[in-house]
Amino acid sequence: MSRDPLRTKLCDMLGVEYPVIAFTHCKDVLVAVINAGGFAVLGEAMHTPDEIAADIKWIRDRIGTKAFGIDLVLPASVPPVGALTELEAQIPERQRRFANQIKEKYQVPDPKGPIALHQWGGLNQAMARAQLEVLLEERVPVIASGLGNPAFILEAAHSRGMKVFGLVGKTRQARKEIEAGVDAVVAQGFDAAGHTGSMGTFSIVPEVVSIAGNTPVIAAGGITTGRHLAASLCLGAAGVWTGTLWLASRESDLDIIVKEKLLAASAEDTNWSKSISGMTMRVLRCPWTEEWARPEAPPALAAPYQMLLSSGYIQGANDHRRADLMTEAAGQGVGFVTAMKPARQILFDLVEEALDALESVVGELA
Amino acid sequence: MSAADARPGFDRALSGRSAECDGGRAIPGTHLVGREEFAGVLTGDYVDHGDPPWRWYLLAQLSRTPEGWPADAVWCESGSVFLIDG
Repeated sequence: MSRDPLRTKLCDMLGVEYPVIAFTHCKDVLVAVINAGGFAVLGEAMHTPDEIAADIKWIRDRIGTKAFGIDLVLPASVPPVGALTELEAQIPERQRRFANQIKEKYQVPDPKGPIALHQWGGLNQAMARAQLEVLLEERVPVIASGLGNPAFILEAAHSRGMKVFGLVGKTRQARKEIEAGVDAVVAQGFDAAGHTGSMGTFSIVPEVVSIAGNTPVIAAGGITTGRHLAASLCLGAAGVWTGTLWLASRESDLDIIVKEKLLAASAEDTNWSKSISGMTMRVLRCPWTEEWARPEAPPALAAPYQMLLSSGYIQGANDHRRADLMTEAAGQGVGFVTAMKPARQILFDLVEEALDALESVVGELA
Repeated sequence: MSAADARPGFDRALSGRSAECDGGRAIPGTHLVGREEFAGVLTGDYVDHGDPPWRWYLLAQLSRTPEGWPADAVWCESGSVFLIDG
């Protein structure tokens, strides 16, 4: 080929070799990917401002002046104040009984300690603001908003030389964020792990590209191979956002039991379900998701009630490391995650396969 | 941010407008996030949080909510609100 097809405007914006973004909750993965020539974003939504500041220092000690990103979850909808009182008492008996039946059927152990739930309404505005203040003060090179529209912080971020990325699941969200001036849009398809919109990656990426103008679009959802990377570039994306790809990497701090489940899983082993939280998300199938999918199951409750029901199961499974019960967010590309490799190797394999895929289609261009 | 940093207001131009909210938030106690969608009518009430202001609108008369939504209204972040009546 006459030019490097992997050298995109996203590479130029971020100062990286490869248009690959790793989204991870593990700092070691972030460091390994960045030091290998990719870009990485650390999910810090559930961390306190002090923890975030400490993590930023830890990262900078290991990557020097290279760019990195922090992902926060800006809430987009919250119940009116006072609506979440006496939560336990409001759970209907039918759902409560069904949850207890699952516990008995699978002999789910009790959690070892108090259930680690807090902030029942999800992250509130005050906490999100405090987290953002740390990112602005530290001049984190890239702020990624994993859910809500980050338009209100654009001016403050840009005045400090920072970039802001928004993750969207619908084209209308992308249009609004692009008009507001975000620096890149992550168009996330239904294939993705965790929260997703209802459009498939193959549909949402070119649709967002068609309205994005010069704003780079980053493809997300089910991307775990070089062929996915090559296809994303052909759809018009300037790079890819990958999460599941890194979960079973050597550096990942996930429990080895969960890593082994991921390595054995195929796309059909994931489930788009409301049963964990009351809000739709894709996770690895487990007895809890399977039971709530049965025809005789009651409907899952809204957040936060469903989370109250599922939290005992999840924490009990994790505390006692019950492989048959544990779950994790995973995208449909999990079937291609088949070996526990170093993150650096994962990145290089992805890039090499993408180049091979592109050459196999277009051949050597003069 | 203290309660004093939340500044309520009323936007007459939005009062009574039909809207949808592409909502969602973090799932407490996990590193997961969930989406939830709403449709209803904007009351016109809003709250600005902090500086620069982060505006939230009150959506009521809800015609679409997640099943079992525990309230008759929802606060929606302004960037996630879409007017659907033209």
